[in-house]
Amino acid sequence: MRQSVQELFEKYQDNLYIIAFNVCKNAEDAKDVVQDTFIQYYSAKKEFDDEQHIRAWLIRVAINKAKNMNNTFWRRNKMSLEDYMETLAFETPASEELFETVMHLPEKYRIVIHLFYYEDYTVHEIADILKLSESNVKVRLSRGRSLLKEKLQEEWEDDE
Amino acid sequence: MTNKEKYKQAFSAMHSPCEMTLEVEKMAILSKKAKIRTTAAAIITICLLITGGSGVVYAADVGGIQRTIQLWIEGDRTDVTFEYHESGTYDMSYETKDGETEELHGGGVAIEEDGTERPLTEEELLEELSWPDVIYEEDGTVWVYYYDQKMEITDQFEDGVCYVKVSNGEETLYMTVLYQDGWCTSPHKYVPAEALR
Repeated sequence: MRQSVQELFEKYQDNLYIIAFNVCKNAEDAKDVVQDTFIQYYSAKKEFDDEQHIRAWLIRVAINKAKNMNNTFWRRNKMSLEDYMETLAFETPASEELFETVMHLPEKYRIVIHLFYYEDYTVHEIADILKLSESNVKVRLSRGRSLLKEKLQEEWEDDE
Repeated sequence: MTNKEKYKQAFSAMHSPCEMTLEVEKMAILSKKAKIRTTAAAIITICLLITGGSGVVYAADVGGIQRTIQLWIEGDRTDVTFEYHESGTYDMSYETKDGETEELHGGGVAIEEDGTERPLTEEELLEELSWPDVIYEEDGTVWVYYYDQKMEITDQFEDGVCYVKVSNGEETLYMTVLYQDGWCTSPHKYVPAEALR
């Protein structure tokens, strides 16, 4: 199956933007990643099984593009995380602290944490998207949680 | 609140920039235009090979409107007599530096999203003629011409693809050139070669 770019864009632009930002920590790069991801979808002749298949594909492409962005030698001048956070309207100070703590996690934990807690993917699905073993995902999830707990204390529950 | 709820609340503060919708639409259009440009450029090139420099006077034919326009041709601003035909073709002639009359004939088709083809409009053809041009010389060198600029890109191809940026001082264009297989431009970023194949 295929869905129109516009339809997918309406549905997933925020998710992909947040994921891309989660990886590259730069709003402008994240914007480029989202656009490139949809252009790749537009250009690809790939057929998908269902909408979940499309969603997982978009997320995988966005993560890979964002990682590539991090690996390129040339990077545009970017706003610091602190400055960028000042442009966001957090509902509570605890939300702001959680956001900042997540963004300071190492990238490999951050992506797994985000796919689990924001995108509601299971360990099995995350392993499939990131092309990792399930045990590897479990380890990263566990270490990421520990770091969050260490920083956030009672603001983060033990949910392992 | 569960950790998931807290996490979602924290990241729901982020939203993609509003202007992105329009830009994605533009990129989709550019992707479509890339196909137009590739096709049109190929057809124009074939016509140049057949009739270029023949010296035959061709203008007084089948009902097109003839007018004089100015085009940048191989780096020089040149007065050109231009005639458009509804079949999506054009005839044009101009005087070369040597005082000879050069006659060129070309045309193009646009490929719609559903795969159907239609002749290019006069506006599209004129826009086409204002874009950068890629010239393959007999000595094997490859050049990009844009307005008054001339740039050799012979050694810049990797795996048959060259990415080159050109500017006329006001607008910057990102060109993707497939070796002897067309090219396209975008004012925003390089169109991936995969999108043109």
